[in-house]
Amino acid sequence: MSEVILKCDRLTMRFGGLTAVRDFSIEIKEHMIFGLIGPNGAGKTTAFNMITGNLKPTEGRIYFYGQDITGLKPYKIVSLGMARTFQNIRLFSNLSVLENVLTGFHHKLKYNLIDAILRTPRFYKYENQMKEEGMALLESVRLADKANFRASELPYGERRKVEIARALATGPKLLLLDEPAAGMNPQETLDLMYFIQEIKDKFNLTIFLIEHDMKFVMNLCETIAVLDHGVKIAEGKPEEIRTNPDVIKAYLGDINA
Amino acid sequence: MKIDRNNILTALSILVFFLFVWWGNHHLTAYAVRVWEDTLIFLMLAAGYNLINGVTGQFSLEPNGFVAIGAYVTAILILTPAQKESMFIIEPMVPWLAHLHMSFLPALIIGGIVTAIVGFLLGFPVFRVRGDYLAIVTLGFGLTIRVVSNNTITITNGSLGLKGLPTYTNIWWCAVWAVVAMIVIMRIVDSAFGRAMKAIRDDEDAAIAMGINTLWIKQIAFVTAAFFEGVGGGLLASLITIISPTMFTFFLTFELLIIIVVGGLGSMTGTAIATLLVVWGSELLRVVEQPMNIFGLQIPGIPGMRMVIFSILLIVIMIFAREGIMGQREFSWDWLFNKIKGKRA
Repeated sequence: MSEVILKCDRLTMRFGGLTAVRDFSIEIKEHMIFGLIGPNGAGKTTAFNMITGNLKPTEGRIYFYGQDITGLKPYKIVSLGMARTFQNIRLFSNLSVLENVLTGFHHKLKYNLIDAILRTPRFYKYENQMKEEGMALLESVRLADKANFRASELPYGERRKVEIARALATGPKLLLLDEPAAGMNPQETLDLMYFIQEIKDKFNLTIFLIEHDMKFVMNLCETIAVLDHGVKIAEGKPEEIRTNPDVIKAYLGDINA
Repeated sequence: MKIDRNNILTALSILVFFLFVWWGNHHLTAYAVRVWEDTLIFLMLAAGYNLINGVTGQFSLEPNGFVAIGAYVTAILILTPAQKESMFIIEPMVPWLAHLHMSFLPALIIGGIVTAIVGFLLGFPVFRVRGDYLAIVTLGFGLTIRVVSNNTITITNGSLGLKGLPTYTNIWWCAVWAVVAMIVIMRIVDSAFGRAMKAIRDDEDAAIAMGINTLWIKQIAFVTAAFFEGVGGGLLASLITIISPTMFTFFLTFELLIIIVVGGLGSMTGTAIATLLVVWGSELLRVVEQPMNIFGLQIPGIPGMRMVIFSILLIVIMIFAREGIMGQREFSWDWLFNKIKGKRA
């Protein structure tokens, strides 16, 4: 049995009178691709934001490799080995592709401000080392030839890949992808599917993703959880989810209504 | 090899700059030297301001407060105990400050450090907000410093201000500090810390998601800016020899804001060019504040007319060159050599 990498225990998030997520519990094991689906406004991104530390859950706990990370600052959680991408791609548009990736190394920076100001040997050593590692990472996702392009100059599909590469630079064990295929055409979606599979094997990752595109989720994920109105209504293998009456009801409405 | 070449060229150009300073000190008129001193101090102030406003993208309006703190601290430290005793006529100065006296360099550095500490403490509350709100709270800080300096009579002599400061500031002090400030700031920008600052400017939430401690990075930019603005304040104090609470108003911040916007937010090269343009431009524009006779039409001298012209200039830049002279680009030797090679090819 592989180890549990992420465990959410009865997570609840209330915004004033609105309960966005209620008693959300999941367990994700290592090397899995876990999908979270649900209609618009079901609370998927809210669940993500709680896990990554952007939101502090009203109730419930989150465990990462058994360690309680509830309420930790996002940058602390990143250094533990969890990285994320955003629904609407959020690259640093005025930085080059390589610089975007280099920001992912920042949390394990090995020189300090004094080294940078005095340009000590340590500064040059680690700055060069980071650039080499960054190029190697871009090489492995086949973006090396775009290293010096400004992020805003790339086409949409490649921007998504850069965003994923940037998240990989933080050295994650768990990668959270918030609607990676949003806004992509079928060909780009297919490419992305292979890409995710590829980086998962290459970087020995566990992947947790939110997605709208059913085909994408059904083909990629081993386990799927379904969220509706903030409540988890089903969890299981893709074929179980496909035939689950509650899920069909949530997506298509009640036949008897 | 390439890095060596660039370093040598940089060292050479700094040498040329100091040769120019040496030459200027002997051959330029006292007026021109004075304007150069202003230019160099403003370059230091603007470079610091651009680090927080342009590079890190935190639109803030506090430099006049920082300059005032640096000016007061330095002034209090370089005045002799006898001068202080004769000056504080409303209420005597607090004893431990009244007897404190030191030479210019430590006074400047302490002025910078005190300002940096104030900046550090100020950073915690103000960086809880972003965008326009940050501008408003930091604007409030500048006003607060003015009120405080007006009312802490036993430290600042209140509205009477401090007079007869020793005139240590000369073009050498200004030149060396400006060069130090530019080198330190450009090196910070060209490092992982600078990348993190730019990341925060482009998308703060994504920067957080990349594991960047954004508060800390903003603090680095803010404290560095505060240090150099404090030192700049000290240089200004000893240059003008009089300081009072009404001297460091929002107009100082506004002038620096014009410089960094005209030069390009985030570009230190742009800041240098724009400082030259704005400081020398405002000297040349003194003409418009004098009484004029245009085709028989008598116009009395209008003080503040230069600011009107600068405001118009700012609007024009906003319309035609939204990114300023340099945008976010920087001058680099590589760029220059590529240009030369490109032209030959």
